Formats: sequence, C-alpha cells, structure tokens
Amino acid sequence: MHMTKLLSPAKSKVLFLGNEAIARGALEAGVSVATGYPGTPSSEVIESLARVAQERNLYVEWSVNEKVALEVAAAASFAGLRSMAVMKQNGVNVASDFLLHLTASGTRGGIVLVSCEDPGALSSVNEGESRYFAGMLEMPLLEPADFQEAKDMTKWAFELSEAIGNVVMLRSVTRMSHASGNVVCGKFPAKTRKAAFEYGGPIMDSQTGPMISTPVVAKHLLRRQKLKAVCALFEKSPFNRYTGPARPDLLLITASACWLYAVEAVEMLGLQKRVGILKLGTTWPLPPRLVSGHLRKAGKILIVEEVMAFLEENVKVLAAGDPKLSGGKTFFGKYDGTLPFAGELNPDIVADALAKIFRMKRGSLPSSYLEEARKTAALLPPREQTFCAGCPHRASFWSIHNAIALDGREGFVCGDIGCYSMAALTPANGYWTMPTLHSMGSGTGLASGFAKLSPFGFQKPVLTVCGDSTFYHAVIPALINAQHNRADITFIVLDNQGTAMTGFQPHPGIEVNALKESVPAVDIASICRAIGARVALCDPFDLAATGAALTDFLAEKGSLKVLILRQACALSPEKKGKKTFEMKVDEDLCLGDACGCNRLCTRIFRCPALVWDRKKKKAAIDEVVCAGCGVCASICPRKAIIKMQKTVL
Amino acid sequence: MRKKRSSQSRLKKDVLEKSLCTGCGACVGLCPYQAVYKDRTVQLFDCDLPDGKCRAFCPRTPSDLPLLRESLFDASDATDEIGPVKEYWLTRAKDEGLRSRAQHGGTVTALLGLAMSEGWIDAAIVSGRLDGREPEGLLIDRAEELADYAQSRFWAAPTVAAFHRAPESGAGRLGIVATPCQAIALAKIRTAKIDGYRKGGSLSLVIGLFCGWTLALDRFQNLLEKYQLSASALTGMDIPAGKNVLELRTAGGSANVPMDEVDSCVREACRCCVDSTAEFADLSVGAARFGANPEEMRGWNQVIVRSGAGQKLVSLARQRGVLEFREAPPPALVELKNAAAEKKKKALVRIIAKSRSPKNLLYLNPDDPVVRKYLK
Ligand SMILES: Cc1cc2nc3c(=O)[nH]c(=O)nc-3n(C[C@H](O)[C@H](O)[C@H](O)COP(=O)(O)OP(=O)(O)OC[C@H]3O[C@@H](n4cnc5c(N)ncnc54)[C@H](O)[C@@H]3O)c2cc1C
Ligand code: SF4
Ligand code: SF4
Ligand code: SF4
Ligand code: SF4
Repeated sequence: MHMTKLLSPAKSKVLFLGNEAIARGALEAGVSVATGYPGTPSSEVIESLARVAQERNLYVEWSVNEKVALEVAAAASFAGLRSMAVMKQNGVNVASDFLLHLTASGTRGGIVLVSCEDPGALSSVNEGESRYFAGMLEMPLLEPADFQEAKDMTKWAFELSEAIGNVVMLRSVTRMSHASGNVVCGKFPAKTRKAAFEYGGPIMDSQTGPMISTPVVAKHLLRRQKLKAVCALFEKSPFNRYTGPARPDLLLITASACWLYAVEAVEMLGLQKRVGILKLGTTWPLPPRLVSGHLRKAGKILIVEEVMAFLEENVKVLAAGDPKLSGGKTFFGKYDGTLPFAGELNPDIVADALAKIFRMKRGSLPSSYLEEARKTAALLPPREQTFCAGCPHRASFWSIHNAIALDGREGFVCGDIGCYSMAALTPANGYWTMPTLHSMGSGTGLASGFAKLSPFGFQKPVLTVCGDSTFYHAVIPALINAQHNRADITFIVLDNQGTAMTGFQPHPGIEVNALKESVPAVDIASICRAIGARVALCDPFDLAATGAALTDFLAEKGSLKVLILRQACALSPEKKGKKTFEMKVDEDLCLGDACGCNRLCTRIFRCPALVWDRKKKKAAIDEVVCAGCGVCASICPRKAIIKMQKTVL
Repeated sequence: MRKKRSSQSRLKKDVLEKSLCTGCGACVGLCPYQAVYKDRTVQLFDCDLPDGKCRAFCPRTPSDLPLLRESLFDASDATDEIGPVKEYWLTRAKDEGLRSRAQHGGTVTALLGLAMSEGWIDAAIVSGRLDGREPEGLLIDRAEELADYAQSRFWAAPTVAAFHRAPESGAGRLGIVATPCQAIALAKIRTAKIDGYRKGGSLSLVIGLFCGWTLALDRFQNLLEKYQLSASALTGMDIPAGKNVLELRTAGGSANVPMDEVDSCVREACRCCVDSTAEFADLSVGAARFGANPEEMRGWNQVIVRSGAGQKLVSLARQRGVLEFREAPPPALVELKNAAAEKKKKALVRIIAKSRSPKNLLYLNPDDPVVRKYLK
C-alpha cells in the first residue's frame, strides 16, 4: 500500500523510509518532473514517486545516466516547473560536467539535486563524497538529520532554489535513506504549474534571457551574489539547532545522521552538561554569524562527520577569517586524528573520540551498553558475497574462465559496475578472471587501452564485461573508441535484462519505462553492429556454445568482438520462484572427492544450492535454494547431476 | 604430517612447465581439470588430490618401463633399438580403394577394420580428420567409416582422452591408433593397479604408429600462412622418402616445405622422445623406407609385430587376404634400428641439456638398461 502511504493526508503521522520522506517532501513542494539513475541507496526516491505519478500528475523517468537525468530535470526547471534529479554519490561525478555549467547558467523553477551517499561503502565500490561539489560549484547544500527533516528540508530546498535561481543539493546517507521514522505530513499544493520556456530577454536576466553560462565572469559574479542571499536565509534556518549548556567545555558541530550518533555518544558518556551540540542542516555555505556565535562559547571544538573533513575545513576557514574570535581554540576532528577519514561513524566511535578529548576511560562506559552493542553486532548476518543460485553471471564467468585458460595467453577481464562486480570483489566468484573494477563503463575504456599496449610488449588478450544497464549508461563511448582505434578486445555484455543489482528498474533495452508505459527498446546488438563490431549472441546457460564463441573470439585477432550473453536474472520477477528444472544428484554416479571429480560442483563451481554431504561424501542439491537453472548438470563430469523438466500442468 | 603434493601440480611442474607434454591426452577426459585446446594441454582448475590418474597415466612422468615391457611382452622378443619384435614385414592393404585414401599402405585402417568385423573390438579410436575444427580423438564403431579417418596428421591428436571418455559399458573392447608416447600411456593404463579402475581391461588392441615428431600447431599454422595455406584446407601431408621436404597437399595442388623450416615447428616434447616405433603397442606401423629404393617402397608399410594379440591379428589378415605381404629386404631392419638408435641418442642429449645432469633424465630412469645403453 505504498501508493496511499506516500499520498497520506496532511497532518497524518506516517512511518516513512528516509527516501520516502524525501519523495513526500518533493510532492509537497509540487514537483512535476523527477529523474534519476538507479543506485543504492538512492533508488526508492524515484521508485516511490513513479508509483504516484498518475495521481500527482508527475513525469518520472529512469534516465540513461545521471548526467542525462540532471539535464532532463533542468529542462523542466528552465520551463518554470519544479524538478529533481536523484542519484547516488558517484552519480554526482557523472552529472558534474553538466552541473558545472548549470550552476553558471542558473535555473528557474525550483530544482533539487538529491545525492544519497554511502559512507563505509555498504553497497558501493567507492566512498565518494559529493559535498565538495557544493563548495566547488557554489550551490547550497542541505543535509537532513532525521526523517521529519528529510521531508521538510526537501520541500524547502525547492523554495530556496527558486528564491536564488540556482540548483540546490540535498544530501542523504545510507543510514538516513534506508532507515524509517515517523513523519508528520504537510499539504500538497493546490495549483499546478504550466511549462513555458522564455529566452528572448536580456542576457543577464535569469528569468527571461537565454539559459547559458556566458558571459562567464559576469554570471559567476551573479552566482556569488546569490550566495549572499543564501547565507542570510541560512542564518535564520530552523534546520540549524543548538542544544546544550550556554558555556560548554566542548562544542560539537555535526550534521546529517552523525547528529544522532553524537547525541547518543554524549548520553553514553553522561556529558550532557559539558558538551553542546550544534547540529547544522545547511552545511554549505555555512551561515557565518550563527557558526561564529557558537564557536565563541567554547575553547574546544569537535567536528563530527563521515568520510572527508568537509565541515571541519569550512568551520576552520570561517574561524580563521573571524577577527572577533579570540585565539586559543583547539579543533578536534579528522586532521588531528580524533576521527577517521574513512568509513561510517557510529555512536561508539564518536564516544571514543569524546573520551579521548575528556581523558575518560572508555571502560567507564556502562557495561550494559557494550553488551547491547555486541549483541547487535552478532545479529548482523555475515554477508557471504556470492552470486545467487541460478545466477547467469556464474555460468558466464565459468565459460569466460575456461576460454581464457584454453586460449593460454593469460587473458583477463576488465570489470565494471553491476552484480557481476562480485567477480572482482570475491575473486573465486569470477573464477579469478577479473582483476580491475572502477566506475561504470570504465571496464571497456581500460580494455581499449590495454589492447593498444602491444607495441610495448603486452601480449595478453583483453576481455571486458558490462551489464545491460551499464552498456547504455557509459559504455557506448568507450566501445566506439575501441572500434575506431582498432582495439582488439572481446567485449561481453552480461545481459540479464534489467538493472538487477538495484532492484530491476527498467533501462533503455526494455520495452517499459518507470511509469509502466510501453516504450521502444534500444537493441544492444544493433548498436554494436552499427559501429562495425562482430556480434554474437549466446545463452550463458549453454556452456558449450558460449565456450566455443569465446574461444573463437579470443583466437580471432585484430578487431572488436562483441558477445551478448542473454539470460534473465534468477531473481527477476518473471523467474523468481519458478524452476525450469527439478534437480537431483544420483548418488551412485557421484564421484564426490574421488579422482575423476574431486568435488568440482561444490569446490569450484560453487552454486550456493550445491552442498557437500560430509557423511556420505556426495554432492547434494538444496532444493530450497536451487533455482532450477540446470547449469550444474552440464559441468558434472559424471552426469551425476540430473535435471528433470518440470511438468507444466 | 606434510601434505602430499597433488598429482596435478606435479604434472604441471614436471611435465607441462618442462615442455615435455606430448599432447597425448592421457591426463584429459578423466576429470574436469585437464583439457586439450588445439594441441595444448591446459589445466583449468586446481585439484589437490594425491595419487591421481592424470599423473599415473602420463607418459612423461617417471615410469617403470622395464616392468611395462615385462608385463606386456615376451622377454625373448626384446631389442634395444625398437623394442620387442616377434615379426617384421612389409605390408599393404589388399583393397586398392583404401590404399588410395590411406597414408602409405593402408595397413592400419585395414587391420582396424578386420578387428572390428571379426568382433575382436567393438569400436576403434582414431584421430579426427585433417579438416576438423580441432585435433581430437574419435570413437568409431562402424568399420566402413574407418577409411574416412585414414591418413596422418602430423600434430598431436589427444586420442587417449577419447579412450577415457568412451563409455565404460557399451563399446566394451576397444582398439586404438597411437603414437609412441600414446602407446606408453596406454601401456600404463593397461597395467595400472588403481583401486576401482578397470577400464584398462577394455583395451584390446593398440596399433602404434612410427613417429619422428609432431608439429606444434600454432607455429605450424604460422608456417602455413607463409605458404598461403590453412590447416583446414589440407587434404594430405607426408614426408616423401629421400627428399627432405614436407609435402602439403590441398585440393588446389601441393607445396613442398623445406625440412629446416618445418624443423622450427617441431614440438619441444618430441625432441625429448626416445621412441620412434611405438615400442609399447601390440604392433607398430610405419612407412616402408629402408633397404630398397624409394620408388619400390612407395605405398607399402613396415610392420613390427610385438605382442601375441598383434601376431594373431596379422596372421588373420594374411589368412583373410586383407593385407598383402612382402619379405623385408635384409638391410631394412638394420637401417630401421640404426635410425631408431639415433633418435634415442639425440633425445637423451636434449633431456640432459634440460635437466643439467646425466643423473636426472626427467621421465626416464638412468638405470633402465635400454636407456643406459644410449647414454654413451
Ligand atoms: C605425427 C606422426 C608422425 C609420423 N612419423 C613417421 C615417421 O617418422 N616415420 C614413419 O615411417 N612413419 C611415421 N608416421 C606414420 C605414418 O605416417 C603412417 O601413419 C603409417 O605409415 C601408417 O600408414 P597407413 O597407410 O597404414 O595409415 P592409414 O591407414 O592411413 O591410417 C592412419 C591412422 O592413423 C591415425 N592418425 C593420424 N594422425 C594421427 C595422430 N596425429 N595421432 C594419432 N593417430 C593418428 C588415423 O586416424 C588413422 O587411423 C607418423 C605418423 C604420425 C601421425
Ligand atoms: S560434479 Fe558431479 S560427480 Fe562431482 S561431486 Fe558434483 S555431483 Fe558428484
Ligand atoms: S540447477 Fe544447479 S546451478 Fe542451477 S541453481 Fe540449481 S544447483 Fe545451482
Ligand atoms: S585425474 Fe584425478 S588427480 Fe588428476 S586432476 Fe583429475 S581428479 Fe585430480
Ligand atoms: S604428455 Fe599426455 S598425459 Fe602428459 S601432460 Fe601431456 S597430454 Fe597430459
């Protein structure tokens, strides 16, 4: 009943996921266009808006990548509508080239860039920070610290954007986006806006002139002026709050989910009377009078934030420039080593930092608390990183491994971002074939580069993989580069027919969009053929055909070869819970750990549904886990794994 | 207790990494861990078992060759140069049609056909065709199809792997065509005492081929490219007596490649091989080359009959008129032995160059009297 939940009446108190609170805030602001590219922890914002698109008359889109998402949202802003673009932290890097120019041209209708970030890289391969973009590109930055704020701040972000004629960034983190809390709902706007784009006015008139970044210097000065207005608003913002004694021994400055950790840490150590907490919701530009005022109260200042020292740096710059601040302040944070520069924070880490500053023994912590913490830690399931049962990627990497081994020239795979990244994160999953992993699309770019190293003595064959969604996102330019520069690479599309890793959002290869409308699918094979590559298509579950296609491609020298391995994800809605085959192991045939097999299925192939029965010394199928893909039947040397076609009633 | 090193890793270190692998296929088809691609033997995944069949059957791991000779042949037939000899003949197939499709006299194909039609074997394992996608061994159970697989491919074909893959029941008694290294592997398989392994017993007939060397496929393909040829276009290949060239035949004609160019393509493992006559087969067949002028010998085979089973088959072939026989001219056997002794000496020099010690002969045992004789 998500639909009704997001549309709950004003004044009702609703339990929202952080990302739903952001979506609700956007609805209350009267957003018309919402775009995004799927990426944990951001995806639920767009997903939940898509569900109410009809009722609220929204246009919601999964764009091909984050840059295009921001461009699509910006067009709506130029036309006077309110819009938002939602992405995960590294998505802001993708969007940043456009963003640089967008903050220069300015905007019209309120436009909010939502970045949901992942300190500690719980579901990312980076700990990227987008807060610096706010400073670098001079756009206001807001960071909610609880769920009510997530909703209220989002709504206000649109108003702020409209007030200053520029894009506003709202930053959330995993612990905010994916946790839930109660939110009191506000009203939806009564009026809807009409889109209109005017551009005939004077060049410096941001409401009627052309939307361009030139004259650069004049527009830049204009943007600086807008920031003055922002500061003035931030000085009075209710999102910045101080709690604690009038003259604390230590002023703790924090923002975002770290505020919760700080409050808890202060309580844990019983320091409520000695530590004051300044929680900032408007973190760039910092409101100078507000911050200076609080800095004056204490001699010691601790800045609590995750990953980079963005807040710390800005506070220090502000303090250094304030003549009224008497010297002798001691700053604690990341630069002095009180807090780590990497990873997530939690109340325990913050308490450690406080204990260090106050020279308290952490042993003096209430033991019940430690006990509690230990219990929670034990509850977290150990995350065994492996491809699911029936995952087409396991079959693909099996064939890739074997083809590379047969070819014998020590070929390797340049990896990319998707579920198949697991082949690099836990090398046994990719059968030790995939040694590189960077940003979306970079596998193909790297492969294209490796392939040009033969004049320098590099003779290994180069392969690269990408998912179907990644293909559209960022691979195409690299692929064209490879073809045009005659890079001899074997490019493999692991086409599992959806953006599986982030929850099956549609992408341009699929005939349905975020709004469940039918749309034209853009065919990967046709694109590859059109650029002149040799293209083959295989079912990765057909190990023999896939293996032969790969060895042929590896042996063929001098050109770009494309192999599309198409098989839907085992968890995809059309497959989930439906087995193609019932599987069983014939124990009489199974060689187990004897010479002739040595547990190939459970020791090397390692589908989680294949289990080793220690007592019987035979392999067995865990029927609950098995997805019935049947692949293991083709790897067993004794044909001991038997697949039985399910009889369809 | 120190864990015993795995058979597979020893195979890798002692055979594959020393370039001693002949591509015979004896370690392939037993399990999922070894495979052959083109003519290379590849280990796909690690296996940690000790005492595995891969190492036990490989002709290039240390073997007790005197014991193999003793268990398979009559001691009285032994020769140092060419192994056991019961009989020595020049033969060719009676069937002219077969002769025209065969490498030399068609003796091999005729004998396999006879064994099959007599019901001595249920199926034969031969090498895949010249124009096949990749070198391979094939199980043929219809005598009339055998001629399709006649002729020699001068590169390694993993016929022993095809033996391992042949179903244990069904085609019970098998015949197989084997190069000398394959014949050693098959002898190890026939005499193996491994718990639960009985398949060696289904090997009823091993017809050995004389063999000077095989060519490494990748280098040979490069050579072919130089002559604007491709392996799949070849219809035949031979080394005509006395000409010192490799003759390559295609539908469009033939090319003669000078032997020194061919020599650069010879598989390294073959340079370390001491056997030129498949000393461990039931009978061995080569081109008739010695004791008369080449024209007179063209289209004939020389045959060494080594075991009782070989003898029975050859005499049946005489009875049924499947083969035509000629007495070998007296110098033939002497010349053959001299040539075989030459190969042994050269190989031992090469082996010592690799191991850097006459006491370490890699897969050979310096105490084997036959080996010792040629160590000079
Ligand atoms: C690599 C190689 C090197 C040889 N070197 C010599 C030599 O130096 N001196 C000499 O006298 N004879 C040599 N021979 C043997 C010779 O070429 C003939 O095979 C032999 O004379 C038998 O002739 P045939 O007419 O009876 O054979 P055919 O009746 O034509 O039958 C030949 C049989 O050999 C099998 N075969 C072909 N290629 C291979 C292979 N690579 N591995 C295993 N089986 C194969 C075929 O499947 C067929 O069954 C060599 C053979 C090979 C394969
Ligand atoms: S691969 Fe086959 S023979 Fe080997 S353990 Fe698994 S089921 Fe048994
Ligand atoms: S059929 Fe085999 S490979 Fe597929 S899910 Fe079941 S156990 Fe795993
Ligand atoms: S033959 Fe046996 S020991 Fe050798 S690799 Fe195969 S399973 Fe392992
Ligand atoms: S010589 Fe034969 S058994 Fe030995 S490693 Fe090579 S292919 Fe395997």
